[in-house]
Amino acid sequence: MEMMEEGVPPVINLSKLAEREETELEKKVAEIIKELGAERIMYCMQCGACASICPLAKTGFEWYNKKLIKALIVGLRDELLDDPTPWACVACNRCTEVCPRRVSPFEVMFAMRRLMAEEYAIGSLAIEGLRALYEYGHAVYMTGREARKKVGLPEKPPSTESDPKALEDLRKILKQTKLADLGLIPME
Amino acid sequence: MAEEEPRIGVYICHCGENIAGAVNIEEVKKFAEKLPNVVLVRDYLFMCSNPGQELIKQDIREGKINRVVVAACTPRTHEPIFRRALEDAGLNKYFFEMANIRDQDSWAHWHEKEKATEKAKQIIAAAVAKARLLEPLEDRYVDLTQKVLVVGGGIAGIFAALDIANAGYKVYLVERNPSIGGNMAKLDKTFPTNDCSSCILTPLMVEVANHPNIELLTYSEVEDVEGTVGNFKVKVRKKQTWVDWDLCTGCGACTNVCPPKARVPDEFNEGLSKRGAIYIQFPQAVPKKAVVDIDACIKCAGREFGTEPRKTKDGKPILAPCEKVCPTGAADRTKPRNPEGEVVELDVGAIILATGYKVMDKKHFKEFSPDSPNVITAMQMERLISSTGPTEGKLIVPSDIPKYLEWKKKVEKGEQVELDARKPHRIVYVSCVGSRDDRFHSYCSRVCCMYMVKQAMLLKEKYPDLDIYIFFIDVRTPGKDFDEYYMRARRLGIKVIKGKVGGVQRLPDERLWVRGYDAELGKPVELIADLVVLATAIEPSDGTFELARKLGITCGEEGFLKERHTKLYPVDTMTEGVFIAGCAQGPKDIPDSVAQAKAAAASAMSLLAPGKMKVEALVSEVDKEKCSGCGICVPLCPYGAISMVNYNGKMRADINPALCKGCGVCAAACPSKAIKLHGFTFEQVLAQVRTLAKRGVVEVL
Repeated sequence: MEMMEEGVPPVINLSKLAEREETELEKKVAEIIKELGAERIMYCMQCGACASICPLAKTGFEWYNKKLIKALIVGLRDELLDDPTPWACVACNRCTEVCPRRVSPFEVMFAMRRLMAEEYAIGSLAIEGLRALYEYGHAVYMTGREARKKVGLPEKPPSTESDPKALEDLRKILKQTKLADLGLIPME
Repeated sequence: MAEEEPRIGVYICHCGENIAGAVNIEEVKKFAEKLPNVVLVRDYLFMCSNPGQELIKQDIREGKINRVVVAACTPRTHEPIFRRALEDAGLNKYFFEMANIRDQDSWAHWHEKEKATEKAKQIIAAAVAKARLLEPLEDRYVDLTQKVLVVGGGIAGIFAALDIANAGYKVYLVERNPSIGGNMAKLDKTFPTNDCSSCILTPLMVEVANHPNIELLTYSEVEDVEGTVGNFKVKVRKKQTWVDWDLCTGCGACTNVCPPKARVPDEFNEGLSKRGAIYIQFPQAVPKKAVVDIDACIKCAGREFGTEPRKTKDGKPILAPCEKVCPTGAADRTKPRNPEGEVVELDVGAIILATGYKVMDKKHFKEFSPDSPNVITAMQMERLISSTGPTEGKLIVPSDIPKYLEWKKKVEKGEQVELDARKPHRIVYVSCVGSRDDRFHSYCSRVCCMYMVKQAMLLKEKYPDLDIYIFFIDVRTPGKDFDEYYMRARRLGIKVIKGKVGGVQRLPDERLWVRGYDAELGKPVELIADLVVLATAIEPSDGTFELARKLGITCGEEGFLKERHTKLYPVDTMTEGVFIAGCAQGPKDIPDSVAQAKAAAASAMSLLAPGKMKVEALVSEVDKEKCSGCGICVPLCPYGAISMVNYNGKMRADINPALCKGCGVCAAACPSKAIKLHGFTFEQVLAQVRTLAKRGVVEVL
């Protein structure tokens, strides 16, 4: 993970990336991303429609959809592991709607999350979300119970919070996912 | 009718907004109504439209007018339309005059509306002044030579020749090289279908050679052209081949024995290999005949052409290896041969120029290390991957071609040796090299994007481990099935980087350090490549400009032949009867070249098919009473239409109306003003000039 700390260098050496794909990695980065869910990454023609409406691009994250796709195609990988952009994706899926090549840039973002998770390159905020998901069935934990009571709503919403059976089922599912193998969060 | 007082109708065209947007039509109308002999003035949105023409016809039929002035656009495109309207209405079509108030007025003075209006008045007044003096004239017909000359034997010339020959007309196909086939013969495969280029081209070449209506003149060049549309006289120089083509069977024995000292870079392989001084252009050549490159020939055994060989002590002649090995005596050097070759004269009615293109040499691009053998042009790459290329299609770095040739020699001798040549692993394509570059050519060469994609795809499909990059400014793939082709290449994993390469540096191990910029990542990039392919610009072939001058047609700024009109007359030129096709007109791919060739063939045939051609009556005539017989006009005539004849015992100039093109040179030069150019007489032209000089006041004499 020596490269990780360095991030993307100011000059990208394409032949080194290609050689790394050919010698060190089992598969080309783009192939891995395909297998992790972004099947049509190679259909991208870099038109930029996805970036034009991406909240990440608008708020100044560096490796938003369009750039991430290109970076993965030329073989950047370790250099991107430390980047927070994929974790900031709000999954609005607007990019999926506007993409003229049906790439689903959102899927690339999420495939990148999966790749990062496998490398344990996950920010603490994301881990907190996963922990909450396992514990309460919500990635973002609900607050404001008092307020609910005041307006006459039940204290707990009609979700996993008020349904121990559903929470139990969710945990069963989560235990069968890669999350359990990775051991990122305690799953009793 | 000529006695009748002129009654002129003036018709002012708005040309949509083109004229009305700058010229105050109402004001001009009022002005024109007051001009002498003008009996009516009308205006209309589009005079050239059917209802517009109908206005004129009706006024003629009703006897209101007997002269017509249309103030509109250019006579170049519209005069014939209005003349026909006059004819339809029963008036002599030469009672027509056009006032160009669009190109010469509204367009030029779009932002000065008052001045444009004033100028329109003057132009119309001048036209009216001339119209008052117009005379009725009759058209003539001349016979046409129903034969066509096609210059250039590439794919465009081949198709033009075949179409015309199949229609039953005689075609002369002139090609500068020993064989037809052109650049297409050098290509490995063709986009977007990846057909083998030779496989689709060679049968056509053979068809041309065997066609009863096609006379093939290869190794020949057009030297001189005289005459005009319908009847051109063309001098063609058949260059000296130094080989008797009647005897040569194309066996190639001579080419193998030509010694190393006489070997020069092979043009067909783009200099990647060498050929002998005696050579056959390429294996599928048509005609398959050998020629001697006399500048390269070292005259082995002192064998100058036209000399008897020296003899050995026992009386045997000492021959050059090529003539010794020739089984038919075609390479015999004893016979004297004229170094200038032979000039033949051809009579044709139309000419199609399909002289093609050449690619720019890499030497101009110092930033890409052109001195490195592993930096090559895309055309060289075509040869490198072609099965008829210097390595028979084996992909190795060009710096190792000498190793390959040595290996091949050993294998041919029966030795069992391994080929020790490096295969390229990483290949970089650089687009727009010399195109879209104001230091060289501002135009886009149009085919490079597609052939880069093609080469990359062919290589990647054959050798999936190759790491291929295409650096581009914009990828341009607008043809049918082109973008799908390009997207297929991207999906194959060919890395397409937006950004042009700025530098290539040659490394000691003959690899190359490439520096570029990835605009999509917003970062400079670099890589070490084994092979760099430059998509160098397409240029007109050598001699295009000179040929154009011989035919009186123009070349654009970039040297390509200029069509008469970009949209409406794309295969015509400003010289009637001369048509253009293929890359001589500008860079284009094979489908477009073929389409244009067929269009040029159709245009030539529709000109020649009637056998006769209507010639406008606008020709010059000598008033033999006024002629002093000085003869100044005779050598001035570009068409050889003037001769001196005996007239009442005196020598007088006489103009053959069948040859006269109405250029007016003789009329301008005649010191006795004895020559009248019908349609542009002194009186008519001077009336126009005087009116313009007097700011629109027409003199009534």
